[in-house]
Amino acid sequence: MPVLFEHLPELWQGLIVTVQLTAASFAGAAVLGVLVCALRVSPVGVLRAIGTAYVETFQNLPLLVLLVLAFFGLPEIGLQAPPLATAIIVIAVYEAAYIAEALRSGVNSVSKGQGEAARAIGLTFGQSLRHVILPQALRTVVQPLGNIFIATAMNTALAAAVGVVDLTAAAHRVNLVEAQPIPIFVGAGVAYALIASVAGFVTGRLERRLVILR
Amino acid sequence: MKRFVAVAVASLLALAACGESSSPAVPGASPQQSEALAKAPVADAAEILPGSTMEKIRQRGELIVGGSLDAPLLSQQNPVSGEVEGFDAEMGKALATYILGEPKVKIVNSASETREALLANGTVDVVFQTYTITEERAKQVAFAGPYYTSGLTIAVKKGTTGIAKPEDLNGKKVLAGANTPAIPAIKKLAPQAEILTFGSDPECIQALKQDRGVAYVQDETILIADAKKDPSIEIVTKPFTEDPYGIGLKHGDDQFKKFVNDWLKKIQDAGVWQGIWKNSIGTVVTGEAPQPPGIGSVPGS
Repeated sequence: MPVLFEHLPELWQGLIVTVQLTAASFAGAAVLGVLVCALRVSPVGVLRAIGTAYVETFQNLPLLVLLVLAFFGLPEIGLQAPPLATAIIVIAVYEAAYIAEALRSGVNSVSKGQGEAARAIGLTFGQSLRHVILPQALRTVVQPLGNIFIATAMNTALAAAVGVVDLTAAAHRVNLVEAQPIPIFVGAGVAYALIASVAGFVTGRLERRLVILR
Repeated sequence: MKRFVAVAVASLLALAACGESSSPAVPGASPQQSEALAKAPVADAAEILPGSTMEKIRQRGELIVGGSLDAPLLSQQNPVSGEVEGFDAEMGKALATYILGEPKVKIVNSASETREALLANGTVDVVFQTYTITEERAKQVAFAGPYYTSGLTIAVKKGTTGIAKPEDLNGKKVLAGANTPAIPAIKKLAPQAEILTFGSDPECIQALKQDRGVAYVQDETILIADAKKDPSIEIVTKPFTEDPYGIGLKHGDDQFKKFVNDWLKKIQDAGVWQGIWKNSIGTVVTGEAPQPPGIGSVPGS
C-alpha cells in the first residue's frame, strides 16, 4: 500500500487524463451519435445507407486498430494531431456508433402514432425528430447510454497505445520502478470502479426522474 | 568422454529438431544458432540435487522460461519458423541443455508487470527478459548473473542538432518504449523532458520519423539494429546508463541460484556465451564479444 501513496501525484495525473478522455470523447460521441441516429431513421434512402455504413464500420473494427491507424497512418497523408486530441477524436467516433444504435432502439420504442401525429400537424422531419421523437426516445435509453459511458471510460485505457499517459499507463510506469503490480493495479482498478459506480449512480437517478411509464 | 558423447547426442538432437521445425523452402538461422548451443555443457548427475528445482525441471522434461516474443535480437519469435530467436532465447535454450541434456524450452510470454508473480507462483522456472537487476526487484525475486550489461542511448532523425548528451533532452519531447527502463532514466537525467511512450520499437521509430518527438531513448543494441535498417536515423551518444541483466529466479531458492550461477560461469569459460552473443547481438554490433559482467557484481544479484 505505501507504494500507492508514494506515487500518488503520478497516478492522480493519470486519473485526471482518464477523466478528461472519458468526458471529452463521450461528449463528442453523444453529438455525433445523435446525428448518425438521425441518418439511420431518416426517410431518405441514401442518408440511411450512410448511417448504416458508419455504424457497421465503427462497430466492426477494434478500437485499438482505429487508434493506431489514426495515430500513425493519418500523418502519412498530412493530418497530424497531438496524442490526446487523436485519442479523444477516435474514441468519440468509435463510441458514436454505439450511441447511435442505442438511440435508434429508443426511437423504435416511440409508437408510430407519435410520428404520424407530428407529421399531421405539419412538422417537418427535422422538427418532428427534435420536438416529438427524440425527447421521448432519449428517456427510454438512459440506462444503455450510462452503460456506453462506462464502456467509454474503460476503453480510454487503450489510449496508452498512442502515447497518452492515462491511469493505466501511469500505473504501468509506477510498476516499472516499484515492481509491485498487485497494489498498483488494484489501486488503479479501484479508481476505474469509482468512475463506473458514479456513472451508474447518476444514470440510476436520471432514469427514475425521466422514465415514461407506459 | 562420457560428457563428450552426451554433448554430441544433444547437438544431434538439436539439429534434428531444427530440421523438423523449419520448412525446407526457407533456410532459417536455426542450424547456425545450434552451433553455439552444440558446445553448451550438460550438468553432471551429481549437480542435480534430489528434491531441488533442477530435479523438478528434469522430471518435467522441459524448462519453462518467462520471456518476450517481440524483442529484436534478444527474444523475438520468427514468424516464418515459429522459433524464438535472440540472445535471451538462446541463453534459455543453453540452460535447458545444461539441465535436461537437450534445448527443450517452453517460453511463457511474460511482461514487466507479471514476471515477479509468475516466478513467485512457479508458473515459470526462470525469466530471461532484459530483466535489469535492481535492489527493489531483488526483494521479490532472486537474480542469478548478471549475464549481460547493456545501456541506454539516444537516437535522433539525421540532421537534428542540439542533442549530444542526456541532459540536452530537458524541455523536449522524448520517445521511449512503454515499460522500459528508459522512462525512469530520462526522468532522472532530464526531469523536464516530456516522455511519450509506445508499445513497440517500430512504433517508436515511426513516431520519431513523424516528429512526434525529437529523440528516442532505447537500449543501444536495439537502436544499432534500427539505425542499420533505417538510414534516416542516427545515434548521437555512447550508452549513458549501465543496465545489468539478471536471470530471474524464485525468491529464496539459493540452491537453484548457485546452480544457475555455476552454469553461467561454465558457459562463459567454454565460449558458449560468446557464441550466442555472436549469433544474436553480434550480427549488428561489430567486433568481438564483450567481456561478460562479473557474476554477483551488482547490488541485488
